[in-house]
Amino acid sequence: MSGSDVFDVLNIKYKGKISEHEGTTSNPISSSSSAVAVNRPAKMQVTGMQRELYNLLGENQPPIVIQPNTKFKEKLNNTNKASPWIHSQFTANKYVTLEHWTKGPKSEDGIPESNFTKYDIHLSIPEFSEEEYNSFMNPQTKSTESNETDNKPEHKWSYVEILYLFGLCRRYDLSWFVIYDRYNFGEEKSLEDLKEMFYEVCRKYFLAKDPNDTTLSLLDYKKDKEVERKKYLKRLLSRSAAEIAEEEALIIESKKFEMAAKKTLSERESILRLLDSPNSDQSVAQYMSSQGIAQLYNNLLSDKARKRKHENGIPENPWMKQQQQFAQQRHHQLQQGGDKRVDANSMNKKNKKQKYDAQTAMKKKGDAEYAEQLLQQFNDEERKALGVTAHGEKLSPGVYLRSTKISTFKPALQNKVVTVLQEIDMPTRPAMPSYEVILRYEKLLKRIVTLIDLKKHLDKLDAEKAITK
Amino acid sequence: MAPVVSKRIKTLSVRRPILYGNTAKKLGEIRPANAPVEHTHLWTIFIKGPQNENISYFIKKVVFKLHETYPNPTRVIEHPPFELTETGWGEFDINVKIYFVDEANEKMISFYHRLRLHPYTMSATGTKLPGTDITITESGEVRSIFYDEVVFNEPNENFFKILMSTPGNLLPSNKTEDCIFSKQLEREEIDRIDMAMEKVDKEIEELKQKLAVGITE
Repeated sequence: MSGSDVFDVLNIKYKGKISEHEGTTSNPISSSSSAVAVNRPAKMQVTGMQRELYNLLGENQPPIVIQPNTKFKEKLNNTNKASPWIHSQFTANKYVTLEHWTKGPKSEDGIPESNFTKYDIHLSIPEFSEEEYNSFMNPQTKSTESNETDNKPEHKWSYVEILYLFGLCRRYDLSWFVIYDRYNFGEEKSLEDLKEMFYEVCRKYFLAKDPNDTTLSLLDYKKDKEVERKKYLKRLLSRSAAEIAEEEALIIESKKFEMAAKKTLSERESILRLLDSPNSDQSVAQYMSSQGIAQLYNNLLSDKARKRKHENGIPENPWMKQQQQFAQQRHHQLQQGGDKRVDANSMNKKNKKQKYDAQTAMKKKGDAEYAEQLLQQFNDEERKALGVTAHGEKLSPGVYLRSTKISTFKPALQNKVVTVLQEIDMPTRPAMPSYEVILRYEKLLKRIVTLIDLKKHLDKLDAEKAITK
Repeated sequence: MAPVVSKRIKTLSVRRPILYGNTAKKLGEIRPANAPVEHTHLWTIFIKGPQNENISYFIKKVVFKLHETYPNPTRVIEHPPFELTETGWGEFDINVKIYFVDEANEKMISFYHRLRLHPYTMSATGTKLPGTDITITESGEVRSIFYDEVVFNEPNENFFKILMSTPGNLLPSNKTEDCIFSKQLEREEIDRIDMAMEKVDKEIEELKQKLAVGITE
């Protein structure tokens, strides 16, 4: 703050005062009032509060740049001479001459062709004289009387008419509807008649020319089919709104059926897979023993469980799995570094189930051994006589009547099983429910259930077929 | 009836075949004195071994529960032979309860037997069609006898010793008129089941093929 500011604030004119200090101060601003007023007129414009503000900003004040933002389109400076466009004539085809605008000078040599002439391509329709026509139309019966072939439809056509037809075809490039429209020769003829005749003649023409032409079959025109097709189309187009609605409803229905069919198909596949899982081409001998049966049963069971899991399970998130793995690893590392006891403890927990399983297995084995030991003194015959068996399986302890342990099924299935049993002349309760009889009887029941299941699926399949038909 | 504490022998089972059923005869001129007038038949229900051997070493008592119209319908037979003779005019289900000896430490088993008085199956005299349970002997006695096996699964050691000390599973080797349940019948049964199994297997194969064809179509 300079002294002038004080005067400024106090509204005191300080011109005289400054002149007093002249020469003593080295400050160039306050050196002389006249010098300040004359030499720094720009600087003096910034006074009072404004100057204070500038002081606050410090030395490096950002420059205020004023940018002119009005941009105009550049002026066009084309020095080329304007090219001439002329209205000239050209020949569209050999009949018509038209005019259009073209760039450049007028051509000297007459009326030029259109640039699009190269696209003006016409079909090559065969041409022939009357003699040729007669010769290829009836090659064998040329010499014989024409009465025989008179009843054929194509011979109602005179050569003149054929020529007329071919002329039209050439002219309208086989645009059949146009040809049919323009056709005006003798009696009324249908579009199909014209087409048939044309292709017939063409076929014979080319056949006479080259019998081995492989493309000849393309000229085969079947009038009946074409007429039929048009009839169908006509009927299709003349349906009423109600009919269309009904049709749509039917289509939706059929789609529903298709969906259901797809579903059952997949179901059936899974069943077939189930049926095939014990490889059917292998011998059944290995499953004949009770051990084999148990193994087969376990196989099927695990197979089933796996499949169901696979079908119902939400697809695993691989990322989650990985994360879990990481977490586990970290856990392990932590434990290894940490307390050994904790480690053992958790390991124990983890292996508890395994250990338990192993223990029960051991126990079972021990039990079986013990039972075997008890029975050691008896040979097979004696064992049979005593009615004692070491089955080695875990069954609920206690006493029961053997006949009460025959498998039963759900009521609906049970009825079917009973029916099958009656069909094959078997009692629902074996007359002698002894150990061996029941063993076999159980097997029989299992097969019957399989049979019923198969029957059910076959019936379902038949029903579906009937529906789709 | 102190419970015998004894370890069960795991993974081992002992079977004892028994026959149960009833015989019935029309009441002739000789009638038991106390028989009501309307009673027409004299019948006997029994539990016995296949060759009438002693079964009391494992069966303690048998309780027959008769139709409620009988006086004292619950009849307890505590000594062999385990049979009960009564007169009656109608057929009904008899509840049979077999109690085992104390050493066995097993629960009783209970089942029903339908008393048969009339030979409904019109088979020839004395012949028994497999699957039908009623026979009629030449003397006109109606029989409805079943074979079954009492299975002691995992018996305790004491009881096992008792069972092992008595051979108990002796079936006659051949059928006799008196008792058809024999090794011979067992063999026949097995053969019949095997044959039936073949039939079913064949049908399964046929159906499998049909199904395969049907699906590929």
